Amino acid sequence: MRLRSRYRVGPELKFLGNLDMMHLMERSLRRAAIPYALSEGFNPHIKLSMGTVLPVGLWGENEYFDLELSQRMDIIDFRQKLSVALPSCLQLGECQEINDSAPSLMKIINAASYVFLLEPPFPSLDKWKEELLARPSLTVRSRGKKKGLDKELRTGIYRIEVEQSLNFGRVEIWVAVGEPVNVRYDELGELLLQTGFTQKSIAEVFRSGNYIREGSSYLSPLEVRLDKHTSPCGHSGVPPCGVTIKVGGMRVNK
Amino acid sequence: MKDRLFRDILPRVAKPARYTGSELNMIRKDWEQAGVKMVFAFPDVYEVGMSHVGGKILYGLVNEKSRHLLERVFAPWPDMEAIMRAEQIPMFSLESFRPVLDFEVLGFSLQYELSITNVLNMLDLAGIPLWSRERNEAHPLVIAGGPVVFNPEPFADFFDIFIIGDGEEVLLEFLDKVETSRGLEKVEKLKRLAAIEGVYAPALYNIEYREDGILKSFEPRFPGVPARVRKRVVKDLDQAYYPDKPLVPYMEITHDRAVLEVMRGCQRGCRFCHAGIVYRPVRERSLETLESQARHQLQNTGYEEISLASLSSLDYSGIDPLLKGLVGNYGEKGIGVSLPSLRVDAFSIDLANEVQKVRKTTLTLAPEAGTQRLRDIINKNVSEEQLLDAVEAAFKSGWLSLKLYFMIGLPGEREEDLEGIIEILQKVKYIGDKYSRRPVEIRASLASFVPKAHTPFQWRPQNTMAELDSKQQFLSRRRRKRIKLSFHDRRTSYLEGVIARGDRRLAPVIYLAWQKGCKFDGWSEYFNFDNWQDAFRESEVEPEFYTGRQRPYEESFPWDFIDIGVSKEFLQEEDQKAEEGLTTADCRQEGCSDCGICLAMEVSLNIKGGNVDALEKQI
Repeated sequence: MRLRSRYRVGPELKFLGNLDMMHLMERSLRRAAIPYALSEGFNPHIKLSMGTVLPVGLWGENEYFDLELSQRMDIIDFRQKLSVALPSCLQLGECQEINDSAPSLMKIINAASYVFLLEPPFPSLDKWKEELLARPSLTVRSRGKKKGLDKELRTGIYRIEVEQSLNFGRVEIWVAVGEPVNVRYDELGELLLQTGFTQKSIAEVFRSGNYIREGSSYLSPLEVRLDKHTSPCGHSGVPPCGVTIKVGGMRVNK
Repeated sequence: MKDRLFRDILPRVAKPARYTGSELNMIRKDWEQAGVKMVFAFPDVYEVGMSHVGGKILYGLVNEKSRHLLERVFAPWPDMEAIMRAEQIPMFSLESFRPVLDFEVLGFSLQYELSITNVLNMLDLAGIPLWSRERNEAHPLVIAGGPVVFNPEPFADFFDIFIIGDGEEVLLEFLDKVETSRGLEKVEKLKRLAAIEGVYAPALYNIEYREDGILKSFEPRFPGVPARVRKRVVKDLDQAYYPDKPLVPYMEITHDRAVLEVMRGCQRGCRFCHAGIVYRPVRERSLETLESQARHQLQNTGYEEISLASLSSLDYSGIDPLLKGLVGNYGEKGIGVSLPSLRVDAFSIDLANEVQKVRKTTLTLAPEAGTQRLRDIINKNVSEEQLLDAVEAAFKSGWLSLKLYFMIGLPGEREEDLEGIIEILQKVKYIGDKYSRRPVEIRASLASFVPKAHTPFQWRPQNTMAELDSKQQFLSRRRRKRIKLSFHDRRTSYLEGVIARGDRRLAPVIYLAWQKGCKFDGWSEYFNFDNWQDAFRESEVEPEFYTGRQRPYEESFPWDFIDIGVSKEFLQEEDQKAEEGLTTADCRQEGCSDCGICLAMEVSLNIKGGNVDALEKQI
């Protein structure tokens, strides 16, 4: 049995690395006595796979993991048991069974959204957004594999939402993960610094979501539906799988 | 404080999870409701300090079993320290993020001589005067425990109190008395506390040295202050507190696993070994206790590995059923069992194989010396035949790499003993290659021998750095392919040697070294020997006095007043037997060797499997 779950990583855990997060999840699964499946070999490990890596320094509102169980388990039971074992700053959201052959989170997630919480002084956000999106090219110094080289972000910036009040600002940016260009949160940060913001005005950064982007829809990995009749593996009783897409609204968490 | 830390400070440092607290199973007690507020300080970085079992024991003991409160603090890494100093952030605890200065007791764990500069640095970061005499009733009481304080004298001027022996046996009694001594003048408080067995308050003693530098007298300054301080001993480990819910850090730490302390003490009697003498007698935990502790710890931590800790875990009388039980109960859940250094015999390898069914661990053997003659001198009762049998058994059952521990600079060492190390390594490699399809990897760690207080070799001179250097070069020249040799830094060993048998006159040297920037001296990237040498020169202290002399048997030592239960006569006899190349057998097998511990501490060997062999042999 394979499960996909959503979870929230609270600000207290924002300094954890990816490996730390894996250990935390694995240890929680053991404490909860979840009947997880183990890999074969001398160093058996829990068949747990996390979505895209949450960068150190960021918390995440909507993160995902897939877990394989060695025996069937009631999903409500799973949620309850695991929730008790998790530290309070890590909360489990919805869980769903997924098809054994569903592609992994890493394969399907192709977009993410980051939120920058701002403190004054900062420029008018509406104007800033308009100008930014009107520019044909947005280059920053790459923080990824080609460190130090110029990197063109424009094709990877899909959408921007802003919210502004007297003493508070919020910028949420939807970006590409992987293709056509992998946009990192720290590169977005640099973009902000290039366009009128100061380091001091950026109070917090977090990842608000991970998505499967199809056209103009952003679906969460739990919203991606399997068309029962076209199930490649014939498990018609198991609805969610990462093959075909339900055309539906997007999830925006504010 | 916490908000500022999370927003402005931690994003700028490496491994910020060292400073965030809120780990799983953390206990944060109500400050107002608690009795005495103590902070446990480990003078090294978080991932080292959090690996220490003693700290986990005391943390749970105080917080679960008393109305007092114990929070934690570790040495900030230099990047964090720089920011703390620049932004005037005082040392803070990981539970309540309060400044260390707010606590009543600041307790350091001293596991290693050279961590003392980190102690001074932490005091300074906390805004606490470094010298005990400059602190008054308003300052936290600065105390220390751990193996290093069996000779507390080099550090005596920095601490108000030392706690000698098993901490869990005395800490609650100590904190209770701290509470009832509130409001007293400092010296009165110290007198009250020093009445507790195992508690040593250095300010209550007068010390005189002879003209030649040897200790002349060590006397209490007040009536009622004990002339000798006897270590505290947990008599029955089954009754002693051990945490069922140890802290589980978020970041990876050095020993990131559940730990079962199967026993305390070791009766093998290796003559170089400090812990083997000061932690006598051997006390085992029963199989039932250990099985229950394993169950609870794994349930409450979710750890993927459990390790059997002690000075010589394979000597635990119930080792076979314990290991089989753990592997049987937890193996199929993917939980591994790990063993520290193995005993050198084939039986050990069988057990290691048992463990390997779940997870492969490094196989480590410690023959310590290269020839039988030298192994007899140090009383490491292992024959070459046993060693090679163990090695053969290991390679036969599929291990591909092996690590061996040796020491250089041992008393009575000759060139042939160094040759012997290389010969053993070659034989080990030959056996490995015979059984393995691909060439095996042999690694040897060569430590420099450091004579320690309270051991049979406490009278012996330590090898000079030049001697160690030429020995290291000798070995390096004879090194063979696929045999990797790693040496300890001879300068650190030298300094460790000076402090290990040092006295109060070293305090100004330590202070000066810290002032010159020494910290994290156990870390090669920070160790600065030049600063230490300058500190010795400027303080006009001759380090050779502490390490270079063959000391006469009649000499009074600065640590003689610490009563470890083992008699000085026994240590002297052992040293004389070493001179003659005679061995002393383990008293569990061959009967009592008259070290004095059982009589002194009113204890007996607590061997759960029964002292059957010993009894039979006596009959």
